[in-house]
Amino acid sequence: MTASPATTMSMELTLPNQLGYELIARDAIAAFARRLGMPMDRVDDMKTALCEACINAIEHGNLLNPDLRVHILCHVDAERFVIEVYDQGLRRFVPPSSLPNIADKLNGTGSLRGMGLLLISQLSDESGFVPRDEAGNCFRFAFQRSGAAHGCR
Amino acid sequence: MLEDDLTVTTRDQDGVAIIDLVGDVTTFAEDKINNAYREVTNTGARFVLLNFRQNDYINSAGIAILIGIVTEVNRNNQKLAVSGLSQHFQKIFRMVGLAQYADIYQTEEEALSGFDRFRG
Repeated sequence: MTASPATTMSMELTLPNQLGYELIARDAIAAFARRLGMPMDRVDDMKTALCEACINAIEHGNLLNPDLRVHILCHVDAERFVIEVYDQGLRRFVPPSSLPNIADKLNGTGSLRGMGLLLISQLSDESGFVPRDEAGNCFRFAFQRSGAAHGCR
Repeated sequence: MLEDDLTVTTRDQDGVAIIDLVGDVTTFAEDKINNAYREVTNTGARFVLLNFRQNDYINSAGIAILIGIVTEVNRNNQKLAVSGLSQHFQKIFRMVGLAQYADIYQTEEEALSGFDRFRG
C-alpha cells in the first residue's frame, strides 16, 4: 500500500492465471476498501465485480494459460476507488454487440455464460476496456467513494 | 483452488424437493447441482427449492448453471424458488434476471409457505 502527497493511494497484485486466485485478490482488495471506509454493500459490489473481471482475464484474455499472469492495479483518491485488471492478451477482447439477456439464454439462442460484464457494469459506477497499444487487455472499473448504496438498476 | 468447495444434498419437506447448496457456487459446481436436480426430478418433484447456505462466492459461471436449471424447470413444468441468499446475492439474482423465473425468499420456511399458492 503506498500513499503520495496528493493523497492518492495504490496497491498492486499479480496473480497466477488460474481460476480460484481471483478470491485471493478479492479478499485483499476488500480489506483495502474497508480500511478506506467504503460501505459494506459497496465492498460486496466491488468483490463480485473484481472476481468477474479476473475470471474474464484468466479465461478470455489469457485463455487459461497457466504460464501467464493477471495483474491488478488499484488506485484511490478522494473521489474514486479505481481498479484495473490486466491480462497478457493472447486474445484481444471484442465487446459483445449487446448485453446478455436471460430470456435468450433460456430459449437457447444465447450462451448460458457471459453475465460477467453485465454484472460489473451494474455493480460499478463506471466500467470498460481501456485501449492499449501494447499486447494485453486492460479492464477498468470504478466506484465513487461517496458510497451511495446501489439498488438493482 | 476451488474444485471441491460446495456440498450439495437433497431432501423432501412437505412435498417440496429441497436442494441444499452449502459453499461456493462456481463453474466447479456444475455436476453436483445438475445431478441433484436430476435426482429430485426423477423422483417426480413438482416443487423445487434451491436453499443456499454459507455462500461466500457465487460467480457468473455459477449463475450460468442456475440458468440451466431454470431452463429444465420450465421444460418439466416445475415450480422453482430460492432461499437463504444474502442481500448482496439476492441483488445479483435480480440483476441477471433470475428473479423473473424463481421466487426469492429470505428463509426456507418462507419459501415452503410460498409454494402453497401453487397447490391445487
